[in-house]
Amino acid sequence: MDTSLFLVQLLNGVQYGLLLFLIASGLTLVFGVMGILNLAHGSMYMIGAYLAYYFTTLTGSFFLAFIISGSIALLIGIVIERFLIIHLYKRDHLDQVLLTVGLIFIFNSIQSFVWGNDPLGVEVPALLSGSIKLTDIIEYPIYRLFISALCIVVAVSMYLTINKTKLGMMIRAGESDRAMVENLGVDISKLFTIVFAIGVFLASLAGIVSAPIVSLVPGMGEHVLISCFVVVVIGGLGSIKGAFVAALIVGIVDTYSSVLLPQISSMSIYLLMALILLVKPQGLFKN
Amino acid sequence: MSIFSNKSEKIFIYLFFVIGLFIPLFLEGNTFYINKLSTIIILAIFVMSLDYLVGRTGLITLGHAMFYGLGGYIFTILAPEYEAVNFWIYTFYVMLISGFIALIVGLIVLRTSGIYMIMITLALAQMTFYFFADSVEYGGQDGLFIYVKPETSIFGLSFLDLENETHFYYLCLLSLFNCFAFFKVIMNSSFGRVVDALKENPDRATALGYNIFHFRLIAYVLASSLAAYAGYLFALQFGFVNPGMMSWDISATALVMALMGGLGSIYGAIIGSFVYEGLHYYIEHLTEYWMFFMGSLIIILVLTLKKGFAGFLNDLSGGKGNE
Repeated sequence: MDTSLFLVQLLNGVQYGLLLFLIASGLTLVFGVMGILNLAHGSMYMIGAYLAYYFTTLTGSFFLAFIISGSIALLIGIVIERFLIIHLYKRDHLDQVLLTVGLIFIFNSIQSFVWGNDPLGVEVPALLSGSIKLTDIIEYPIYRLFISALCIVVAVSMYLTINKTKLGMMIRAGESDRAMVENLGVDISKLFTIVFAIGVFLASLAGIVSAPIVSLVPGMGEHVLISCFVVVVIGGLGSIKGAFVAALIVGIVDTYSSVLLPQISSMSIYLLMALILLVKPQGLFKN
Repeated sequence: MSIFSNKSEKIFIYLFFVIGLFIPLFLEGNTFYINKLSTIIILAIFVMSLDYLVGRTGLITLGHAMFYGLGGYIFTILAPEYEAVNFWIYTFYVMLISGFIALIVGLIVLRTSGIYMIMITLALAQMTFYFFADSVEYGGQDGLFIYVKPETSIFGLSFLDLENETHFYYLCLLSLFNCFAFFKVIMNSSFGRVVDALKENPDRATALGYNIFHFRLIAYVLASSLAAYAGYLFALQFGFVNPGMMSWDISATALVMALMGGLGSIYGAIIGSFVYEGLHYYIEHLTEYWMFFMGSLIIILVLTLKKGFAGFLNDLSGGKGNE
């Protein structure tokens, strides 16, 4: 592998890793604050992608579709939390698993009912299409750089929100001592709704922005969900910093292994996870 | 003491196996329904093994289908392609090898618990899925075919012909009965009592000098090799194995069936499998989007029917039961 190919793969790996971080951060945030494992998180990624397809076709503008789909995702998050997740706070893990599996079934059938089972695609918006020259011969698509930039913006704003704002203070407090936060007069149920909606929004956002670079197929949500599990397990459940580091590692390992070790490429991230678990059963950054 | 935990269990088990024994007489020649029943019974064995693991030890796995698939693959890979092998000997091989794999996997996953274990079991099952889906040698996505079914002679005497649907049905029914009896014996043994105690209060069990890890590992290995046995039967019935047998939704659906039946009740696994598959069959005929109704039903069940149909039956019959 020569240097330029190495560089392109590195960019691809980082871009994939950042996208994984976007999804995994939502999963780990919801778990960290609310103690809920949302298996339907991957379905929200899928729904985001399909909504982006729908509204891009309808309005003709990807950016308009971006805004509409994002708002719908937030709304879906609020509705699910208010009507379903709210019953799970005093239940065990198994009930969380089963209820969110039920949600996956529902979202999958909605997807196949509305959009059918044939693969669909979204065109890269004209403004971001095209490539930039990295060297004389190597070009890199602008849209992928846009995704990476967007993910970095989200990561930085999450960092600032959690560490510098009042909402972030409540989130951090909710992670360490839920009962105390409640006793201090914070409206915990409102906080939970906000956090869950943010989680759903992050997953959908990832779906929306990756719609132009992946093909939209049934089951895309589950595939992403399981990759996110690997990220979260490696990074340490509930740790956003851990999710960031682990997502980059997983993205890069996945990308390079498909070039260097194609025979085991789809297994590589799971092997990595198993290895890390043997050394650190709680992940790299345990809270 | 009685092997049954409560009256409704006793009535259900008697009714089920008596009806199960005679039903082929009424379905004479209708291989469609006989095959359907065999499939559900195989599923019930798989769900029962999961029900024991989740309901009795409290360890939640979303990767149980990994062993279901492995059971089929172990047989298909080991057995010579065009030669009938002995069913019982290969049952032993399948369970032994899958048990050994479960031992190694258990050493990794049982180091964790709760949410972690759910995610790790799912990820490892997915890894195995990809291993078979990507391997050219084992047929990739299409899997492998079984051209010759095993023969079932013991000391030269053969009662069952696996090519015959009705014979195969009786083999499945017998297997389900053995599986049920096995778990009942385990649950009433001192091993089973310790496992129950660990679920109730792990700290106290540790304080009493029991090594939690060992007990959990044994339960994990037992449940996994029975799941592999179910997968082996499934592969024999349909004549093929493919990576789809290990897919996450098989594990998740089995959990739903165990919940429907009443977690940890063991016989509830039979109820859960029949109710779920019955509903599936019925709704699928009405609409292509049956998953929507199944999903809604699962959510309603989780939010309302806490003890499953087994608990519901028990309440109906006015029994107090053991839980």
